Amino acid sequence: MTEETGSPRKFIVPIGPQHPALKEPGHFEFTVDGEIVTGASVRLGYVHRGIEKGCEQRSWVQDIYLLERICGICSHSHATAFVLGVEKLAKVTVPPRAQAMRTLFLELERVHSHLLWLGVAAHEGGFDTLFMYSWRDRETVMDILENLSGNRVNYSANILGGVKYDLDQKQADEIRKGIDYLEERTKYYLNVVTTDETFLGRTRNIGTMSYDQAVALDAIGPTARASGLARDVRVDSPYAAYADFPVNLVTETQCDLVGRFVVRIRELFESYRLIREIIEHMPGGELTTRVPRRIPEGEAISRVEAPRGELFYFLKSNGSDKPERVKVRTPSLCNWASVTHLAIGHNLADMPMMLAGIDPCFSCNDRSVTVRKGGESQVWSWEELRRYGIEYYK
Amino acid sequence: MNIPIYPLIALLLFPGGIFLLGWGLAYEFIDRKLVARFQNRIGPRWFQPLADWVKLLAKEEIIPDGVHKGLFLALPVVALAGALTAALYAPIAGWIPSFSFRGDLVVALYLLSMMTLCIGVAGANTMDRFSILGATRALTQLFSYEAPFLLAMLGPAIAAGSWQISEVNTFAHANLWMILNQPIGFLIAIIGLMGKLELPPFDAPEAETEIVSGALTEYSGRGLALFKIGRNVELVVGLTLVSAFYLGGLSNPLEFILKTLALLLLTAGLQSLFARLRIDQTVGMWWRIGAILALVQLLAILAGQAIRGLL
Repeated sequence: MTEETGSPRKFIVPIGPQHPALKEPGHFEFTVDGEIVTGASVRLGYVHRGIEKGCEQRSWVQDIYLLERICGICSHSHATAFVLGVEKLAKVTVPPRAQAMRTLFLELERVHSHLLWLGVAAHEGGFDTLFMYSWRDRETVMDILENLSGNRVNYSANILGGVKYDLDQKQADEIRKGIDYLEERTKYYLNVVTTDETFLGRTRNIGTMSYDQAVALDAIGPTARASGLARDVRVDSPYAAYADFPVNLVTETQCDLVGRFVVRIRELFESYRLIREIIEHMPGGELTTRVPRRIPEGEAISRVEAPRGELFYFLKSNGSDKPERVKVRTPSLCNWASVTHLAIGHNLADMPMMLAGIDPCFSCNDRSVTVRKGGESQVWSWEELRRYGIEYYK
Repeated sequence: MNIPIYPLIALLLFPGGIFLLGWGLAYEFIDRKLVARFQNRIGPRWFQPLADWVKLLAKEEIIPDGVHKGLFLALPVVALAGALTAALYAPIAGWIPSFSFRGDLVVALYLLSMMTLCIGVAGANTMDRFSILGATRALTQLFSYEAPFLLAMLGPAIAAGSWQISEVNTFAHANLWMILNQPIGFLIAIIGLMGKLELPPFDAPEAETEIVSGALTEYSGRGLALFKIGRNVELVVGLTLVSAFYLGGLSNPLEFILKTLALLLLTAGLQSLFARLRIDQTVGMWWRIGAILALVQLLAILAGQAIRGLL
């Protein structure tokens, strides 16, 4: 698409880095012919923070808190993916109650993320009433999370070898009450997105991605599941307590934006069921186990199903109290291709909703890329990288 | 009418000028508050529209590169003047229109369209891509709702046998409310008014998530303030005309307040009920459904009159 944007006769609509449609900075260029999009390109990297490199300068324990701040919405998923990897390296077994608590947090996080997404996607389509309603109801799950951990966003529930917070009877009752309310509301939202004619006019047959395309474009998470692609880490390789509390995979075959709405809303019901089940059958016992300060040498891969899709962590230890390498691949990165590919032929007015359809998260997938022609490889120190960053944005 | 001071009062104080500007701000507040409450928000305080307006007036007006400067400065004034002039022919506050002549309905309706035309030209005048897209959409929308809206406003005029707003108003007051015998016309008129004012779901020309602020993206300060107040005035004039025609006429201030507020409640409800329509959906809806319904309504009125003539 880049060669097209060079031509002076094309009319290019830039969206971002500063644009009312974007909640985080990113840059999109849509080549339009009237209202029809004929080309799309994406440029990321406005919120690169060098977290991967930063991890190498901090100890394993400090990294949990740093990695939690990769994403403000799926913070617990990042921390969980990291601690699961570290525990694998250290070869410790975490008590079942701690794993169940982690799973409880993961599901509550999915509820708040999906409700947030529902509001944002509705807002992109100009349906502000749904936006306001879903965000009001999202407060319920935020209150639950605050009640459990004391924090609304970065719960920091994980520590190496367990969790910090326990669940007592009073909290369990409050969660049940909140979930009952949310289930009622979610039924209403499912009804709205599947029956409201103006809303369906903006979502039906928009951004249709067939099963084959989803496979070819390597879509993941709810975006893939809306195209009938049964791909969910919770089911494919259960982590934390998902082996004890199995997930029923939710897929849809509509393949368009309606499918993406319905998949996420149906996943909410599945999350409510799981949360109830975890509270009901919470295993007893300890919350933590001892993990050595120095993690044995080795490499580990850890995968977690974040609300947006598969979150992938690669950890390498050199036997010290600091990681040698932490590599994060976030779900949004995998889904960009589907947007730029499917955008062509749609109306410009559909672009915000299609972008929102994959539930993009910009800050978590920004990487610094240096393209060099030939030559030898180069290793940068933290100090050099920091200086480079300051110079770059001067 | 013999006193020479009267036209000045009509132009500057009441019903035009200061009164209309204040009333427009008040209705903007009510509209915003209602939509906010429907959306489960708190909404602004009563003086917020005035505060916004004063703030905009006080701000620096940036004239971007590449625009025709005179046009850029004149368009907001023309838009506001168009809306204010249209008010002189409407029974504002249940008063007899300040000026009136045969066929003033057509003039008033075209004066109301000045706003959209000015917004379209304003958008096309600047170099900004969002403005150009917004202007294209605003003018496309104008061509889609204008004809059905015009037909819907002509319905009561044909029934009254006069194209003079004051006479239609008197006729409507003396007879059965025309919302009852011309329900389709009423529906088209109120939805057309929403399209005219670019209220949701017809806000594609200024859809913030797509084209920032549409045609007015490059406007700031005084120009933006004039466009905004012009739209408020147009809201008041539009509500006055629709309620005068379809809700049994306006003969005193109380009726004016009650009937226009009822309409405002209706439009606020419609605003919060739907997702934004794409511009092609708007055009399709107006031409495929709106225009045909308006024609059906018109034919029904003509047929009704022919039958009454025969009896």
